[in-house]
Amino acid sequence: MAVSQSFKTAGLLKELMAKYYEQGNLAREQGLPVVWVTAVSPVELVYAAGLFPYYPENFGALAAARKVADKISLAAEARGFFSDLCGYARCGLGDAYAKEHPVGKIVPPDLLFSCNTQCGSLQKWFETAARMYRAPYFLLDAPLIEAPTTRLIKNYFVEQLEEAINFFEVATRTPFNFDRLAEVLALANEACRLWNEILDMAALKPAPFGFFDACFHMAPIVTWRGTKEAVMYYRELKKELEDRLDKKIYAVPGERFKIYWDHIPVWPKLRWFSELFAEHGALVAVSQYTHSWAYQFDLDRPLESMAENYSEGFSNRCFEDRINLKTSFMKKYQVDGFVLFSNRSCKPTAFGLYDKRSIISERTGLPGIVFEADMSDLRYFSDEQVRDKFTVFFEQLAAK
Amino acid sequence: MTDRKTIKEICAQFKEIIAEPGLKIQRLQAEKPAPVIGFLPTDVPEELIHASGAYPFGLVAYDGLWVNRADAHLQTWACSLARCSFGMSLAGKFDYLNGLIIPHICDTTRMISDIWKQNRPYDFMENFILPRQVDRPSARSYLTGELGRLKARLEQFTGRSINGEKLNRSINLYNKHRALLRKLYQLHGHHPDLITNLDLFNAIKSSMLIPKGLHNTMVSELISAVEQQAREKQAEDNHGRVRVVVTGKVWEPPDIMEILDQSKVVCVADDLCTGYRYIANDAAEDGDPLETLAVRQINRPPSPCFVNREQDRLEYLTRKVNECGAKGVIFLHLKFCETENYDYPLLRDALSAANIPSVRVETEIGNMSQGQISTRIQAFAEMLGGGDIYGS
Repeated sequence: MAVSQSFKTAGLLKELMAKYYEQGNLAREQGLPVVWVTAVSPVELVYAAGLFPYYPENFGALAAARKVADKISLAAEARGFFSDLCGYARCGLGDAYAKEHPVGKIVPPDLLFSCNTQCGSLQKWFETAARMYRAPYFLLDAPLIEAPTTRLIKNYFVEQLEEAINFFEVATRTPFNFDRLAEVLALANEACRLWNEILDMAALKPAPFGFFDACFHMAPIVTWRGTKEAVMYYRELKKELEDRLDKKIYAVPGERFKIYWDHIPVWPKLRWFSELFAEHGALVAVSQYTHSWAYQFDLDRPLESMAENYSEGFSNRCFEDRINLKTSFMKKYQVDGFVLFSNRSCKPTAFGLYDKRSIISERTGLPGIVFEADMSDLRYFSDEQVRDKFTVFFEQLAAK
Repeated sequence: MTDRKTIKEICAQFKEIIAEPGLKIQRLQAEKPAPVIGFLPTDVPEELIHASGAYPFGLVAYDGLWVNRADAHLQTWACSLARCSFGMSLAGKFDYLNGLIIPHICDTTRMISDIWKQNRPYDFMENFILPRQVDRPSARSYLTGELGRLKARLEQFTGRSINGEKLNRSINLYNKHRALLRKLYQLHGHHPDLITNLDLFNAIKSSMLIPKGLHNTMVSELISAVEQQAREKQAEDNHGRVRVVVTGKVWEPPDIMEILDQSKVVCVADDLCTGYRYIANDAAEDGDPLETLAVRQINRPPSPCFVNREQDRLEYLTRKVNECGAKGVIFLHLKFCETENYDYPLLRDALSAANIPSVRVETEIGNMSQGQISTRIQAFAEMLGGGDIYGS
């Protein structure tokens, strides 16, 4: 009983997300361009340009959480996209071909704006979609950051943001509004601040909130970031959590262990995992994934500060930086063990985990495992194998 | 001066170089010591390595035996090209390398560099962090800067400065080399009976393993030998051959070219990293050499790794087929190569809309069913009407 449907704000979330999808359809009806954007990309530019940002990754996550990702994917696979590709991309591409739409129809783009800070899959998925829908495509390119960020890369990113602004100006035939950008960035700052304060509550022992809850409540920080709605939502959620603390309602009753999880959840198994951990009195307290939306923009130098925030996402950092990020979270949340998810859909987060597991254990003394699965496709999930792995892990934890 | 060699002899030499990839370079290194700097195929500015006085050395999957050696460090759903090269390195097969440059062209190359550094580092480990979009002005200025960074690192490592003059000399040598191989490619298109697919592609691949000057001499000799024999021969032995364009990343494992040869399929154009993409275009020899190298990289034939809306791969490939008078297209895909797979369905459909038949062949280094692929290629060749007279 650790998934937070029982939260009061869950109702608000439902409303908010319904409103979001409604806006997408409305935008289409009103002839307002729909811009496909990626989760870790400067959506603030899109909002400031007065356009509607649509997150096809969200569509993938939704399909995955409702356990239909593999089915939608089949429509893409029938066309020659192989099941080795990112599960989100297969859903997004598949839905365009599919006859049935179990999670609603994906909204076609008028423009596509992707940033490859997260991965090259998004770059390719959006490029493919741009060909399919014959729509203009802009790739915001993020070269890998080998600490510290160089002036060269920062300049490149800023130059591209200027090119992106031009891209939106051409599409809207309107000069870009920098005052509006400042407002949007301020709202994004506020939502990110609240979101991270909420995430920090998982460090309390026992905690009222954990990673699986965060996965449930993260949709607004992704899709509504830069709007009043996101700020309002996280104010409400924070209030509710404070209230829960007063009433001593905790995420995992009798919490014994805190766990670091890397990185994304196995969406169709969210409840399965949350129950598995709860059975052992373990709270998954923290993950790099949910902490990705921790932006703080400097309104005095908006473009440079967007460049820093968006090019330095963790999946775009070198090996050593990424280990340090993980171990610093482990320290901050005082975890007792860690779980690394080798996600078949996501090479940038999965490759390197085998070595990282032993290095992290060596440096922190914590037990940890790597397990294999896919974030959305159950065809790559073996209950038995995963359970066996975790049984050993929980034994190690208990023996600590 | 050596006696004039026959086509067969020179082609056999190329084959030998590839069979023992490190042999020649180690011998040369013993005679004239300089660091050997490896690179993964092939979006790397080799001219810079050359100008630094080091020996450039291309790491392609040379021995499929070592693919699984990487399993403890890299998931099996990484492509076998990466797994094999890394596996061979772990097994000590490239111990003569002093350095390695990894171009960031996909998620696997982007991630493998640090894993490599962790487990089998060479003295000089560098990433070449390419821009992944090449159709906007920002790409050019960034790439010029990145080339400058790499140059500085090479200078630091080799202790030799790379001035403009040296770099221009290297560019000149590489331009000559590419021009020679393009000529050979053309000859292969006209005389596939004299220069087979395997011969041609071996010539290209072997050039990544020995100094270009040396290789230029061999290719020049080969070109003369082919031209001479073409003049002397009575009739074209081209009955039943069919022209195709091959598209993909690499022609690995090499058996694939033998299958094409056996099936009387002639590759008249390709966009492979270890094929025509390696030799397609030159760098200007006047102007700032770093900038001209950047421009060369940006103007390379479209690849699935780089976004190029100005010159989309869909149109490029269709045009190429028509230009070369090819009858069909073979998609040569490494299993787990995402960039190719994303492009494939729409490429196939675009070709089909232009009435160009295509076939997709999936290969995996260290694990390939030769019989199955052979059957597929033969069936495709027959479908294209392999009985027709070859030629344009």
